[in-house]
Amino acid sequence: MMHLEDILINPLLRAILGLCLMGVVFGGACVVIWFERKLSADIQQRYGPMRVGPHGLLQLVADAIKLFTKEDIIPKNADKLLFVSAPILLLGSVFLMLVAMPFGAIIINGETYVIAATEMDISVLYIEAMSAISIIGIFMVAYSANNKYSVLGAFRNFARMIGYEVPLGICIVSVAIMAGSLNIVEIAEAQSPLWFAIKQPIGFAVFFIALMADMGRLPFDQNESEEELIAGVITEYSSMRFGYVFFAEYIHLILGSMLAVLLFLGGWNLPAALTSNTILGIILPTAFFLGKVVLVILAVIMVRWAIPRYRIDQVVDLSWKRLLPLALLNLGWVIALGLLGV
Amino acid sequence: MDETVKPSEMIVHLGPQHPMMPGPFRLNAKLKGETVVDSEVDIGWIHKGIEKILENKTYLQGITIVDRICYLAAITNEEAYVGCVEKLAGIEVPERSQYIRVIVEELSRIQSHILGMGEYASFLGFVSMFMYTIRDREDLMSLIDSITGARITHSFLRFGGVKQDLPDNFANDVKYVFGNIRKAVDQYEELYATDRIYKARTVGIGVVDADTAKDLGVSGPPLRATGVAFDIRKDEPYLVYNDLDFKVCTHTDGDVYARIQVRLDEIRESMYIIEQCLDQIPSGPLFPEGTAYGRRTPIMRVPAGEVFHRVEDPRGEMGFYMVSDGSDKPYRVKVRGPVYPTLQTLPGLLKGVPVADIVAIAGSMDTCTSEVDR
Amino acid sequence: MVIKNMIQAVKNIYFGPPVTRKCPEDPTKLSDRFRGLQKLDKSKCIGCGICANTCPNNAIKIVRDNINPQSDKKRWFPSIDIGHCLFCGLCIDQCPKEALSTTKVYLTGIIRWNHEDLLFTPAMLAREVDIHAEEEAGEEVSRWTPQ
Repeated sequence: MMHLEDILINPLLRAILGLCLMGVVFGGACVVIWFERKLSADIQQRYGPMRVGPHGLLQLVADAIKLFTKEDIIPKNADKLLFVSAPILLLGSVFLMLVAMPFGAIIINGETYVIAATEMDISVLYIEAMSAISIIGIFMVAYSANNKYSVLGAFRNFARMIGYEVPLGICIVSVAIMAGSLNIVEIAEAQSPLWFAIKQPIGFAVFFIALMADMGRLPFDQNESEEELIAGVITEYSSMRFGYVFFAEYIHLILGSMLAVLLFLGGWNLPAALTSNTILGIILPTAFFLGKVVLVILAVIMVRWAIPRYRIDQVVDLSWKRLLPLALLNLGWVIALGLLGV
Repeated sequence: MDETVKPSEMIVHLGPQHPMMPGPFRLNAKLKGETVVDSEVDIGWIHKGIEKILENKTYLQGITIVDRICYLAAITNEEAYVGCVEKLAGIEVPERSQYIRVIVEELSRIQSHILGMGEYASFLGFVSMFMYTIRDREDLMSLIDSITGARITHSFLRFGGVKQDLPDNFANDVKYVFGNIRKAVDQYEELYATDRIYKARTVGIGVVDADTAKDLGVSGPPLRATGVAFDIRKDEPYLVYNDLDFKVCTHTDGDVYARIQVRLDEIRESMYIIEQCLDQIPSGPLFPEGTAYGRRTPIMRVPAGEVFHRVEDPRGEMGFYMVSDGSDKPYRVKVRGPVYPTLQTLPGLLKGVPVADIVAIAGSMDTCTSEVDR
Repeated sequence: MVIKNMIQAVKNIYFGPPVTRKCPEDPTKLSDRFRGLQKLDKSKCIGCGICANTCPNNAIKIVRDNINPQSDKKRWFPSIDIGHCLFCGLCIDQCPKEALSTTKVYLTGIIRWNHEDLLFTPAMLAREVDIHAEEEAGEEVSRWTPQ
């Protein structure tokens, strides 16, 4: 297939494309936050935000204005440099993920052009590695805030991330084996007849649970559980620094769902008959892809509001004793399928 | 608690202002990593001086003050106070008033248990269940509102009877509401029993054994969950509990799951009691005949003496010890709250437990800190 | 497992309409016995002061006021400090002549910006002066019924 790099040779145009994608993701995060508040209200049989704008659509604008105008407090005994730069690292790790993530495809005359800022041969590995950089950010927060609750939250975060990166990585490796490459575009393209979720169902289940733990959503959000830790790692943050961390979490949610769709749920693949028409070929694959991403986000949000929360030692127990053997089993299954030539 | 910290320990204050602690009390916990080594409970942040206030109010004014000791189950506070005065002054309450009092108290017990269960679910991070219970509790609050005129601080009882009779069409309203509540309670029990995350967080946690509970004076659902069948409505019956048929709900394990299960069973028993009352209630006067007591309470001087009257609060055993010196204001009123001894079990239960379980255990005792501090 | 919880959540999205109401556009459903602001009947009041003695918060004081807006003759009537009133209803129960009664005024009739305006004179309690109680104008109150 052709790459966008061949068309947009000018680096300035590619930078503009990257900035556009960043804006799209920011806008998407705003919509997802509104969507989560409305969905949680529906589950609990109440209304949700209704007053600011029609059905509360401008509520996030009001919240952002509030965050901008709040006083920025730095504790007296905090390590100033680390305290100020930690949210930048947390937000930056998410944007580094965004660089290699494809947002859709345009199919013209049978040639597929992928909408992505860059194209790498090892993009899947790169994406997973970048999402793990946020650990350094959390360590910086916990050390610099000089607060016992932050320290407790950070310990839990480490245990959780270390425990869940391993099954996540093994599931990604099994997908890469089945597709034959580490390039995320090629993995998406290799799901033409049959989605990988059907070919390796155990892998899909393990990947989904590990992904929710990686993103820090319930039932795995011990690092910010309100019950005993007030706000966990980010207790000492007010005003826009809190906004950074908040946004970073929701952008991570969107990108994580995109990863799930690309790896297991077929990406933007459509039967060739539908994309033969030029106009449909421009719109349909991207629309189909984004529709699937929305469904995955919906599922993640509903799981968060419907079930209680685990304790941290039960979380670690779940990952090492149950998810890891299942992931290894899935790897064996994929290798067997490959050897049999299926 | 010893304030010295070894190299890998730290002291954390789960302070009076906390998003999710049950009530404003402070828990100082010494942590080693994530396990609690030692802890200490500090109370007194919501002390209002109610016992001193009651010494300067007449007996009738005291009814409105006593309402506010534990506002989540207000009518049992009033019952204990009014029962004390009636014992001292020798007032006999007619049967119809006794039945009405039992109905309102059992309604109050149901809504307090539903709220306790819902609040506990929110401590575990299960916010949606909290909202479901609040929604189901609204019908009950409207029922209580239609009898007494207020949702929480009722000031409904008077000496010798109750302020007003039941409204018309009350039995039909009750039947409709109880149909919904029965379905809701069955749904809660099913959601709790099949949820593996919930069970992993509650079964085997915070086990209280019967001897510790009896030594400390714990009563109510925490005691009944350890297997001791002590219920004041059966052991020292007041009002018409002698004529009603109900059983005392117990459980054997004594852990958090057992306490929630006991509260769920008690809701069903209370609904059964109310339905029996509505069948058996006689018609008659609300106040004793031939005396001055009525809806207009006379200016009364209570004969001198001392008396202790206890009732079964949703949280345990509540008692009032009243000393009267023959004037129109009490000389001394001492309140024995049900949650004060229950909080004393916490330092023993919290040794060696991960931090996340602190709120799970403290929340399952269903504390209403307002009556710990008075 | 946890599937039942999620099924319940999904059921609530589609089969559970919102049960909350948008205050203050939707009015609260009050019960019949709801205790709001008191209403004074000046023709029945004898100025005995039993209500002032009974009030747990000492919110009632007995003051001199005209017996009606047209005449100048004064008698003793109660004035209630709404800022300290518990709305417990003891003063209404204890009045020997049943001059005080309860109404359903609880919003615009008694909400004020300044603390001094919360002292309701006998003229305001007898509704000779307008207290901006819109709900009381047409007795617009909806009784709670099980739906």
